[in-house]
Amino acid sequence: MALLASLLALRRDARILKIPPYLSAFCILVGIAWLLVLPLNEYSRKTYVSENALLPGQVHTYFDGSEHNVFRAYRHEVHGLIDQPVKERSQRLEAIFREQNLKFATQKYNYTVSNRTIANENVYAILQGPRADATEAIVLIGAWKNMADEVNNSGVALVLTLARYFKRWSLWSKDIIFLVSGDSTSGPQAWVDAYHDGHDERFVESLKIKSGALQGAVAVDYPAGPWGHRYDKLHVVYDGVNGQLPNLDLFNTAVQIASGQLGIGCVIQRMWTHDDSYKERLQTMLRGMISQGLGHATGPHSSFIPYHVDAVTLVTVGDGWHDEMSLGKTVESLFRSLNNLLEHLHQSFFFYLLLQANRFVSIGTYLPSAMLIAVSFSIASIALWVKSGRPDEPVANPGSTQPGSKVTSKAASVDDNKTTEEKEDFNEKKHTKTPSTKVISDGKDIAIVPAALTTISERHLFFPLLFVLTTHFAGLIPLFLFNHWDEDELPGLYLTAANVTSIVPMGFAFIFYHTRPLKQQEVALIQCFSLLLLGMFLAALATLNFSLSFLVGVVTTPLAFVRRTNHMGLDLAQLAFLAVLNPLMVIQLGTKLLGGDLAEVLIKAAQGWHIWGLWTQVVVWLVWLPAWSVGSVVIASGVFY
Amino acid sequence: MLSSLFFLLLNAFVAFVHASSDYHEQLLLRPLPQGTLLASFNFRSNESAASFEQQNFRYFPRPFGQILQHAHAKELHLRFSVGRWDADNWGQRPWHGAREGGTGVELWAWVEADTEDEAFARWLTLTNALSGLFCASLNFIDATKTIRPVMAFSPEGSHGNTSNLHLLHGTLPHEVVCTENLTPFIKLLPCKGKAGISSLLDGHKLFDASFQTMAIDVRPTCEEGSSTCSLEMEQTVDMVLDIARSKRPRDNPIPRPLPIEQIECDTSKHYNADDTCYPLNKGTEPSWTLEEVFGRPLKGGCPLHEESGLETNTLCINTPPERTVEVNTTGQFTESKLVSDTLRCYQLPTGPDFDLVLPEQKMTTGLVRPDPPVFAARSINGHGQERGSTQSIIRNPSTTEAVEIVYLESLPWFMKPYLHTLRAHVDTSDESPIKETYYRPAVDRKRGTHLELRMVIPPSSTLTLTYDFEKAILRYTEYPPDANRGFDVAPAVIRILSPHSGDNKGIYVRTTSLLLPLPTPDFSMPYNVIILTSTVMALGFGNIFNLLVRRFVGVDEVPATGGLKGILMGKIHRLRAILGRA
Repeated sequence: MALLASLLALRRDARILKIPPYLSAFCILVGIAWLLVLPLNEYSRKTYVSENALLPGQVHTYFDGSEHNVFRAYRHEVHGLIDQPVKERSQRLEAIFREQNLKFATQKYNYTVSNRTIANENVYAILQGPRADATEAIVLIGAWKNMADEVNNSGVALVLTLARYFKRWSLWSKDIIFLVSGDSTSGPQAWVDAYHDGHDERFVESLKIKSGALQGAVAVDYPAGPWGHRYDKLHVVYDGVNGQLPNLDLFNTAVQIASGQLGIGCVIQRMWTHDDSYKERLQTMLRGMISQGLGHATGPHSSFIPYHVDAVTLVTVGDGWHDEMSLGKTVESLFRSLNNLLEHLHQSFFFYLLLQANRFVSIGTYLPSAMLIAVSFSIASIALWVKSGRPDEPVANPGSTQPGSKVTSKAASVDDNKTTEEKEDFNEKKHTKTPSTKVISDGKDIAIVPAALTTISERHLFFPLLFVLTTHFAGLIPLFLFNHWDEDELPGLYLTAANVTSIVPMGFAFIFYHTRPLKQQEVALIQCFSLLLLGMFLAALATLNFSLSFLVGVVTTPLAFVRRTNHMGLDLAQLAFLAVLNPLMVIQLGTKLLGGDLAEVLIKAAQGWHIWGLWTQVVVWLVWLPAWSVGSVVIASGVFY
Repeated sequence: MLSSLFFLLLNAFVAFVHASSDYHEQLLLRPLPQGTLLASFNFRSNESAASFEQQNFRYFPRPFGQILQHAHAKELHLRFSVGRWDADNWGQRPWHGAREGGTGVELWAWVEADTEDEAFARWLTLTNALSGLFCASLNFIDATKTIRPVMAFSPEGSHGNTSNLHLLHGTLPHEVVCTENLTPFIKLLPCKGKAGISSLLDGHKLFDASFQTMAIDVRPTCEEGSSTCSLEMEQTVDMVLDIARSKRPRDNPIPRPLPIEQIECDTSKHYNADDTCYPLNKGTEPSWTLEEVFGRPLKGGCPLHEESGLETNTLCINTPPERTVEVNTTGQFTESKLVSDTLRCYQLPTGPDFDLVLPEQKMTTGLVRPDPPVFAARSINGHGQERGSTQSIIRNPSTTEAVEIVYLESLPWFMKPYLHTLRAHVDTSDESPIKETYYRPAVDRKRGTHLELRMVIPPSSTLTLTYDFEKAILRYTEYPPDANRGFDVAPAVIRILSPHSGDNKGIYVRTTSLLLPLPTPDFSMPYNVIILTSTVMALGFGNIFNLLVRRFVGVDEVPATGGLKGILMGKIHRLRAILGRA
């Protein structure tokens, strides 16, 4: 009982109200520091293959000898098709598959996004495993053009050669599908959508032949021309759409086969050299996080991952001494491993951050950092809620020795407890008018308490809720515009949006000032709801796309700390600071820093929305921008106060 | 056109009426495109009904006969199948699909019983007995996997005087057919793989085939107009061998890349060089011999084989007349050419080995492969753990004749179809192709869904049949103990009612089986939790419980006698002990 009473008394303690901002700041600092220690040996682990059946690199590879001669011929064949129209290219590829006695088909797709037409054809062939029962399949992809828009000459030739070579083996327990997609992102997406019957028949043709459930996919990207090119390393690309990742076992198998069995070094996230230092590990991790956070397709494999088909792309990089045969052997060995699978890949991790090709951090270790950042918003929100329930007028301090205080020393002695409690209020009272007190008598006991403590202040929720929700739903407008306008107009639209969003807070504040000045309580409630929503969104997002949640969380941290001060200079300074953190500004700056072209980013984003099913924009327009707008409006309203 | 006529004749020849001979075996070889070879083995033995009743077995295998008698099975069909028939390239199925089963094991039988319950009890007896006989998991065909088809099957035999017949049908799509099923299969034959065409049945080659199916069919036959009946048992093996793969010697089965000298290059290519070779498709029929493709020599004819009449020809090969076929044997044999020379048949010598040698040959003519009456493909659409949809595409290639089919689906109970989402659509007409529906919904953990549809597909049309289903969540003990890749759904059986086959076997087409991924827990997780909590409970709880409820007393402190004296003695003992220690 006593414990309860003292807890209840503590609730009234003004010191409690002072803690949250420090707690929030502490959470953010720990969250960021948490991320920074992850690359250390103590917090990361070496990768390992946990699926027993995979047995990476345990088989002899025989892809060699005369296959090399055949490969060179196919490479010339593919080279001869570069300048051909799409239709003839497909026919020639079909003819090669026909000579290999494989079942083949073509699939046309024709997307129109932002008035840009993406039309091409996928050619694929199915090798029916002699002992397979058509229930499972694995996919080998050679996109006609790679992510850099170069013709994947040797890659496609390798797929053709491997198709011929795999056909002779009788050990396949699953069907093997050889897919030559028209491009690296939309083509595989059209194919995999149609495979699962999730396509829109207006844009994508249905598949004529199918096999069983897809168990894995490997893409090869080797753009060397007809005279070949010896490469140095394999760049293993693993990010899927919306930051989903393939099972770590598949990645590990690829790395272990390439580096362990065939001696080809593996790199990730464009870290061409990696000396295993703390700095490089951190850099790799951050690159991975940015790539994951953006959620865009990073290769032909990306489209497969949302369908729970684990996939990676092997890209050849650099000048070295490895030739096409070693890449072919890598793929052969990888397919032999996948062929061993008795179950869908499920053993290892689906959520991880890679620091290097053979070192990773698992979700249990890294998730707290994004969660702590999300929690900091929730803490600020709770503090604001409590604050909104308190009256605007200050609480009298009966124990104050300030000359202004009307409370007698006798009264102070009546309730000694209260005196010590409220001593802390001393500083707050400095500039305020004299608070009123009240005498309460209960039988023989008489107490003088500040009137503020006994008055009930009602929270008026309607307007703050309406305002926050309207702002969030208003995010649908830019979401629609950016996904449906023509590509030529997108940069202009972006510029307009950036300007509008910068001015809007001041505009709103101005309107409010003239029509309905915001009360202190309303301001607190608006900020409270906005931060509450932001905190919950980010916490939920952290479990789906950790990196995006973390990045948005870090950029929006100031929103938990800015407060309307009703002091013009201070509010203007805060507003200027927030203006820099306008999502559109951040995106523009980020694009510049990462060396991208903003117009291209906008078009890719629109493509992502229509073709790949990208959700990043929803987070930007419906979560980040509204949260920022609400914060800015609140601060701007202080300027006019 | 001419060749298709040959084919009809050939079919008539192959499917000729079962004569009275007691034992008959025949192997039909038919080279298929893309370097494949279809081998159809057929073994047939008769036993008169009277001697069968008296358990006087001559050619009919005794263990099998006794099982039939015990389970009161009057007609039985058992299938073991692996792989799939490639109808696009290989055309019509052997025996019109009547001697083939869906992937895995399929069994259906007409059981004599007074009530349904009795029939089911006898069915269980039958499956359990067959399970032991064939080393297959047939005993797993329980109520959830058993259906009673209404339209899809009709008896092949004559059951004139027998009433109360119950048809039961069960499938095991996940069963992996292998050598352990082949061995008991061969043991049922009179010559047991020692002589005759059964000496060619080698597990290594049979199960390396692109398609293979083993069938056992038992049915009563009665001669028309007479009362003498007999029981006929037919054992059939159909396999499609990839000649190149089968020819690989057993000691060197790895398909290493050939030396470049052995690969014929297309020299017309402008880039052709010493190190660059575009492989040329020679377009010739590959060379092969029986011993090469089957991995064993054919050890002459089976001496029990009937030696007179039409059926003396044991080995037949169906090739264009221009194909060179040489015989390599030391014994006496006779060759006869039938059906305009497209069918060459041999009477095998008893004793010495017999071999056919076909050299590599460039062909100018080929045999027409008739299309199957329908092409069928079935797949699962959608993704995710909760719902999905099934899509079957059935195409009628005939430009003139409509096809009437019965479509049979036997679904496991954990795949719950929504019948209101069933849509059958023909691309050439708006009329619903479904003429009749038989549907028996599933009961959780008791029985599966049974769906039969009678449909008509107009000429050169494609029928698309779709329905949505929900995936049930299983109890964790209901998952099989082995590695879980998902659950197999039995192939759909399509019976063609018209055009009629002409005999009472019927025409059948089966789709491939489906893989149904169900929400699967990571089983290591609950086990870890169970083990961990058990340990904590045992150590932690046990200790605390002990401390709470027990009073620890030294042995010597226990009072020997009760009463005041005992207590006093105890005190003294304790005092002594304390003093003694001090």
